[in-house]
Amino acid sequence: MKRLLAGAIALAPIALALGAIPASAQSLEDLNIQIHGYATQGFLYTTNNNILTTSSSNGSPEWTEAVLNVGAQPLPKLRIGVQARYFLLGNFGNAITLDWAAADYKANDKFGVRFGKVKVPSGLLNETQDIDPSYMWSLLPQGNYPISSRNSALADYGGVVYGTLALGPKLGKLEYRAWGGEFAIPSNDGYWVSFREEGISFPNGDSGTTAGGALHWKTPLPGLMLGASLNRDNRSGGALVDTYVVPAGPSQGVTITTTGTLTLNPSDTPDFFGRYEKNRFMVAGEYERSAGNLLLSGLSPIPDYYDIRPWYGMASYKLTDKLTAGVYHAEDFDHATPLGPSRYFKDWVISGRYDFNQYLYAKAEQHFIDGTSVGYDADLNPGGLQPNTKLTILKMGMSF
Amino acid sequence: MKKLLYAFLLVTSASLFAARAQAQVIVIANPSVKATEVSKNDLKDVFTGASTSLGGSNVVPVLLKSGTANEEFLQVYIGKNDTAYRAGWRSLVFSGQATMPKSLDGDAAVVDFVAHNSGAIGYIGKASPHEGVKVLTVK
Repeated sequence: MKRLLAGAIALAPIALALGAIPASAQSLEDLNIQIHGYATQGFLYTTNNNILTTSSSNGSPEWTEAVLNVGAQPLPKLRIGVQARYFLLGNFGNAITLDWAAADYKANDKFGVRFGKVKVPSGLLNETQDIDPSYMWSLLPQGNYPISSRNSALADYGGVVYGTLALGPKLGKLEYRAWGGEFAIPSNDGYWVSFREEGISFPNGDSGTTAGGALHWKTPLPGLMLGASLNRDNRSGGALVDTYVVPAGPSQGVTITTTGTLTLNPSDTPDFFGRYEKNRFMVAGEYERSAGNLLLSGLSPIPDYYDIRPWYGMASYKLTDKLTAGVYHAEDFDHATPLGPSRYFKDWVISGRYDFNQYLYAKAEQHFIDGTSVGYDADLNPGGLQPNTKLTILKMGMSF
Repeated sequence: MKKLLYAFLLVTSASLFAARAQAQVIVIANPSVKATEVSKNDLKDVFTGASTSLGGSNVVPVLLKSGTANEEFLQVYIGKNDTAYRAGWRSLVFSGQATMPKSLDGDAAVVDFVAHNSGAIGYIGKASPHEGVKVLTVK
């Protein structure tokens, strides 16, 4: 029922926008309907550990995405669109979900508004982190853009206002975005993996409100953009089920189950980023911090504190018209976790992308991972986690 | 004789270089567009989806599907090849930020579209007929 309601809310702006179109613009040609899509198939192989809920140490092809996009521009300043996605990554996904469904009215370059289910424009890459054809990497820095739990960060049911302000010939341009809405974390989202490993499940997931703003300064130096964003999440807290198996004594093996709640304080995530592009060269970097308190009231109240500070630096160079090579280094530290490999995630990456033509491409990527704080599931690594992993990714994609 | 030959080679090379450096593509717009000239940066903003206005007019870019004029326009004014350029637009389309511009089959189709659609802006080969549209000077 909740899903139906969410779908209705997401599609409402499209219905409203269509209703507002004058009768004179009713032909399909006038509506300027477009259909686009893309599909990717990835293959993962790791030397140690199974990663991203796949059986990657044996080689895993369980990484498939397919996206269908339908858009229309019935009036010069009004666009409407909807996008659906099939996503499978190991034990995650294997379902079709609504990426976004929105109406967009751009009055002029200085002001536009988008509402419905909309992408959240935080950070450098959040809006495009799930759009594989748009970048050269197979896997983005996992501290900032974790693929297994990206759904809650990608989009919300609400709106975005945006625009570009000219600062004068010597100061460049300033792009602004501000957003607000409701988001949901489904019960099968990767966000819950660490809780599940402790015997705590969230049958209904969680939800909450989110609001924030971002500034992108296109500096007078051509190709250089510097930016910052701030996002505030206010989670409603989910109902949890805490399961405990008695390990020893007369009641050994007995399962005790109780219910409780997850309570979180509102959390702010500041994010700083920059990118420089010149001819065939690109360099970019980003740093964010996410800190806060939470309380799990299950069998016994468990207060917890997190302080996660992921960052990365990346560079790429277009060797030929069809071949691009790149490298990035990403780190993720949870400063509230005890010392050890589970406290951090460091990843050196070399990557290449070959575009056969404007529709078809292939990617190859090698990760050298140190630490286990991101991307691992204890259930698929019953022998325990090794601190180092080499991950090889091959991927094919097509888009139209 | 040798000097004459050197001079001939020098002049020929210079002429060839000048021809190469001079853009063989022109930017055209519907007469409703107020601007008569456009900076390279503003042109890039319009054709990469960063801006939808030019000199106070709302503008709608239209592309050539392929060909020499298309390659030259993208290389000289956008700084990308066709594959990278369209990948940039797809990024905007798939994130809900823009609609892909129309891509037309040839110069005549672009001229026809630009001439009949208010705010339309496109590019064609310099030698192609372009009645009914205005030519924008790129600064």
